[in-house]
Amino acid sequence: MSAQDFRAPESVSRLQNGGIVVGGVALLVAIFGAMKSPADFYHSYIFSYMLILGLTVGSLGLLMLQHLTGGIWGMVIRRPLEAASRNLWLMLVLFAPIVVGMKYLYSGNDQETGWLNAPKEGEHALTSWQQGYLTQGGFLARAALYFAVWIVLMLVFNNWSKQQDQESDAEGLKQKLKKLAAPGVILYILAMTFAAIDWVMSLSPRWASTIYGFLFVAGQAIAAMGLMIAVIVLLAGSEPFNDIIKKRHLHDLAKLLFAFNMLWAYFAFSQLLIIWSGNQPEEISFYRSRLNGQWGVVAVIVLLFSFAIPFLLLLSRDVKRTASVISKIAVWMIFMRLVDLYWMTRPEFTPRAVPTWLDIVVPVALIGLWLGFFAMNLKQRPLLPVGDPNLSEVLAENEH
Amino acid sequence: MSERRSQLFGVMGEFSTPEDLLAATKKAREAGYKHVEAYTPFPVEGLSEAVGFKWTAVPLLTLAGGLGGGLTGFGLQYWVAAITYPLNIGGRPLNSWPAFIPVTFELTVLGASIFAVFGMLALNKLPQPYHPVFNVERFAQASTDKFFLCIEARDPKFDLAETSRFLQSLHAEHVNEVKDEE
Repeated sequence: MSAQDFRAPESVSRLQNGGIVVGGVALLVAIFGAMKSPADFYHSYIFSYMLILGLTVGSLGLLMLQHLTGGIWGMVIRRPLEAASRNLWLMLVLFAPIVVGMKYLYSGNDQETGWLNAPKEGEHALTSWQQGYLTQGGFLARAALYFAVWIVLMLVFNNWSKQQDQESDAEGLKQKLKKLAAPGVILYILAMTFAAIDWVMSLSPRWASTIYGFLFVAGQAIAAMGLMIAVIVLLAGSEPFNDIIKKRHLHDLAKLLFAFNMLWAYFAFSQLLIIWSGNQPEEISFYRSRLNGQWGVVAVIVLLFSFAIPFLLLLSRDVKRTASVISKIAVWMIFMRLVDLYWMTRPEFTPRAVPTWLDIVVPVALIGLWLGFFAMNLKQRPLLPVGDPNLSEVLAENEH
Repeated sequence: MSERRSQLFGVMGEFSTPEDLLAATKKAREAGYKHVEAYTPFPVEGLSEAVGFKWTAVPLLTLAGGLGGGLTGFGLQYWVAAITYPLNIGGRPLNSWPAFIPVTFELTVLGASIFAVFGMLALNKLPQPYHPVFNVERFAQASTDKFFLCIEARDPKFDLAETSRFLQSLHAEHVNEVKDEE
């Protein structure tokens, strides 16, 4: 196989420019909104942030998973996964507003106090364990720890993969990447579980669910895999990917998207079933605010459009193998992640489910910027891991 | 062996690599043969497309089985819990649907898998204790290390001499007539 450089096509540059321009303009509008109505801004910010965090660390998780399992599906998306994981620096910067706006997020609502302003004693006090855990200092220290874990993993996996391109002991590096992938996946899931508890579940400190972290991990796998399918279809539109990507690659990725979607539905339903069966006042509050009134409508929308309809569509082999169809479903599922996160967070603040204008502007700003930086990262390296000993398998695939 | 009462089933070429078989199958289809069947000791990527296999009813049967199973599962629980023997359990509604989902799910899987397995067997007519290709002695190797391509006599383009020559031209290592005994 001749040494090809697999440079990113023009479409990636357009994504970069488009993302940064649209995201930048939306961000300016959002900052204006933040000054006018800070509470609305932060309420929009938290769910939008969790979506792009999912794209970032979800990709890091899939990156480690594909090193662990091997397979051609992982080879074709490895570079996009790496590029997405390098957006962790952006995520670190974008975490600042959450720190600044803590009092708008973790101070509860009209009915109940949040952990920031909960009384130390009396019937509305949190348990002594919670009072020790949910403190401002602890929140910041743990956030630093989660980012440290993810960033170290991101740096190691990106750097070893880059070294592999320069053909210095490619087989040895492959084994090293594989060996680190297993503990890496565990660390990512542990950090994500605690991050989900700290940043989102603590919006309602009197309610707890043990599957909460996995709910986020599965949702992030959907978001990251959806992004990968969309990116692969975009890249397959022009050189050099147009004759590398075949229907079978899309089929493999779409099958995984299908599996992650079922996994997410399984986790989400497990939580509902256990709380429904237990029927305990302190547990049921989560669903009382989310399954009744306006939020009940959103719940049905999430059930139908995030699970049921994609599930039925993805059953079909032809749907999974047709680039124009599967890419639309993939983008749709990322959008539904956003709706689901909206449904997970917003009912803590208001029974009104109708979005504010900031609920449009803030996600557009964050997603636009995220995609812009992602495209920039993607241009930095060859689109395929050119030093991987198994690369010829990806290329040989086209011969028949 | 009653040679006289047997009739011709087809002609079979033997190949020693999956690539040769795949190439030969494609050429046979290109030459206009429609009733072509390939036999291999393990699944060969792309071969089912090459023999012209396009569509099967198994996925539809599986879907029907799954839907039937799921509806039965949910329907049975709804009928029992909400209609024939309504009980107030902890103040939940009689149609306590989240509690019905696990059984509904299990019966969906059961229905789908039963329909998939038996639908597959019904459609491919397996198990088949007799098939003409076994009359060729060398065919035993189809389950170890040889790859066979059989062009069947019912093919409109079939001609014993012509088709045998055609298989030879595809570099078949052996070409055998396949007899079907009455």
